[in-house]
Amino acid sequence: MELSIIQCVILALFSMSTSVIGALGTSYAWYTLSRPLVASMIVGLVMGDVTTAIIVGSAIQVVYIALVTPGGTVSADLDAVCWIGIPLAIAAVKGSGLAAAEGAGLAVSIAAAVGTVGTVFFYGTAVFNLVWQEIAWKRFDKSDYSGMWKTTFFLPLISHFLIRFIPTFLILRYGLPYVANIKDVLPLDSLPMKTLFTVGTLLPAVGIAILLKMVIKEPLDLVIFGFGFIIAKNLGVNLVAATIIGGFVAYLKYQTGMQILAVKGSGSVTEEEDDF
Amino acid sequence: MKKITKKSLNSSFWTWYHGNLLCFSHQHMQTLPFMLAMLKPLQDLYQDETELHHAMETYTGFFNTEPQIGTIIVGVCCGLEESRANGADNIDEEMINSIRVGLMGPLAGIGDSLIPGTYIPILLAIALGLSTGGSMLGPIFYALVYNVTMYLFMRGIFNTGYELGGRAVDVLVGEKADIIKESIITIGMVVVGAVAGSWVNVTTALTLYNDAGEPFLVLQNVFNNILPGLLSLLTVLLGWWLMTKRKMQPTTVMLIYLAIAFVGVLLGFFDPGLSY
Repeated sequence: MELSIIQCVILALFSMSTSVIGALGTSYAWYTLSRPLVASMIVGLVMGDVTTAIIVGSAIQVVYIALVTPGGTVSADLDAVCWIGIPLAIAAVKGSGLAAAEGAGLAVSIAAAVGTVGTVFFYGTAVFNLVWQEIAWKRFDKSDYSGMWKTTFFLPLISHFLIRFIPTFLILRYGLPYVANIKDVLPLDSLPMKTLFTVGTLLPAVGIAILLKMVIKEPLDLVIFGFGFIIAKNLGVNLVAATIIGGFVAYLKYQTGMQILAVKGSGSVTEEEDDF
Repeated sequence: MKKITKKSLNSSFWTWYHGNLLCFSHQHMQTLPFMLAMLKPLQDLYQDETELHHAMETYTGFFNTEPQIGTIIVGVCCGLEESRANGADNIDEEMINSIRVGLMGPLAGIGDSLIPGTYIPILLAIALGLSTGGSMLGPIFYALVYNVTMYLFMRGIFNTGYELGGRAVDVLVGEKADIIKESIITIGMVVVGAVAGSWVNVTTALTLYNDAGEPFLVLQNVFNNILPGLLSLLTVLLGWWLMTKRKMQPTTVMLIYLAIAFVGVLLGFFDPGLSY
C-alpha cells in the first residue's frame, strides 16, 4: 500500500493547520479536527476506506480522550497521532490482513509511539515561533498594529510548513509502505508483535487514567468512577444513558453543596452561566 | 460618552476565537493574541496614537489560560476599558491588569477540568458509541455539537464579561462557582467510568493444564467470577496511582505498560491469539 502525492499533500495540510498552535484556531481545529475520531473520518475519506479508519480511530481516541496541555506541556502530540499515526496504523492493519477490530491493538501501539515521538514537532514549532514574536514586538513598538496582526496570524505558517507539513508528507509518502509490509518482518505470533498488540489493549487505560487524575481530587471519588465502570461493564448501560445518570449524581451533589453553603450562611448568591 | 462599537466587539471576539493560540511560544504563550483582541476596542476609545499605544501597553504582560473559557477575560477587559475611558476613577491600568492576571490562573484550572476534562470526553464518549462498527455518525455528531455549543458558549461569556466588567470576578471565583464546577465534574467521573467499562478490555490468556492435557485453571474465568472487567479496572487504577501517587509522566506510564505487556506475553499471561 502506498499513498499518492495528492493524498499525502492533503493529509500534510491538515497536519499543518490543526495542531494546538496550528493555523486554524483552537476550537474548530485543535478540539475538532485533531481529535483522532474526527481525523480518522477525514483520513478514511482521503485513503478510501472510511469504515476501517473510524474503527481504528475510535480505538486510538480512547487513549487520548482527555489530553490537555496545561502550561503548554504536552505528553503526546495529537496532531502527529491524527495525521501520521492513523494513516500508518491503517496501513499496518490492512497490510497484516486482519479485520479492523482485531487490529485495533496494533493500531493503538503505532499511534501512541508516533504521538510520543511527535512531541518534538510541538516543541520545535513553539521555539521557531520565537522568531516571529520578536518581529511582532518590534512592530508593536513602532505602533504598526496591522503589521503586528499579520505577523502573528500568518508568519507562523512558515514554522508549521517546515516542522509539520514536510515531515508528515515525507513519512506518509516514503515511510508508510514499510509499515504496510510489517507482517513480512514481524509475524503475528512473534514476541514483538504479541507485545505490540497487548500494549495496545493496555494503553486505553492510560488515557482513562490521565482523565481520572484531572477530575479526581480525593481517592474516595474513585467510587464514583467505579460506579460508572460497573453500570457500563456489568449492566450494559450505554454512554448516553451513563451521561444522564451522571447528570443525576451531579444534581444530588449540587443540591447538597448548596444546602451546606446556605447553612454556612456565607457566599453571595449570584447567577451563574450554565452552558454545559 | 465613549463607546466600543458592536463591530469592534465582534472583531475582538473573532480575533480571540480564531487566534488565541496562534504564534504560540513558551515565552509569551497567549500574550500577542490577547493584545490583538484588544486592539479594535481600544482604537474606538482612543483616537490619539500615543494614548492608544499607552492603553495597549496594559496588555504586554504575560497571558495564558484555558483559551475557550478565557474568552470571558477578553470581554471583561473590554468592559473595564470602556468604563476607564469614560473616566471611572477607580479603574486604572494596574487594576485592569490585576483582574486579567487574577482571573487567568483560576480560569485555566476551571477551564481545563470542565472543557477538555469533562465536556469533551463526554461528547467523545457519546460519539464513540455512535461510531461502533465504523459509522461516520460519531465524528459528525461530535464536530457539529462541539462547535455549535462551544461557539455559543464563548460568544455568551464574552458578552457577559463585557457587561459585567469587574463584577465578573465575583461570579467566576467563589464558593458557589466551586460547587457548580464540582457538580459538573461529577458527570465527568461517571462517564469516564462508563468509557473505561465500554472501551478498556484487558483479559488474560493464562490457562493451566493437568497431565491429561485438560485445562484445570482458566484464570480469566476466576477473575470473571470476582468481577467482570476486574483486570481492566485494575489497569486503569494502576495508571492513576502511578501518575498521582508516584508523580509519573503519562509517557513513563506508557513505557511501564510496555514492559508489563512484554513480560506478560513472555509468561503467557497475555496472548492476543492472532496468527496468519
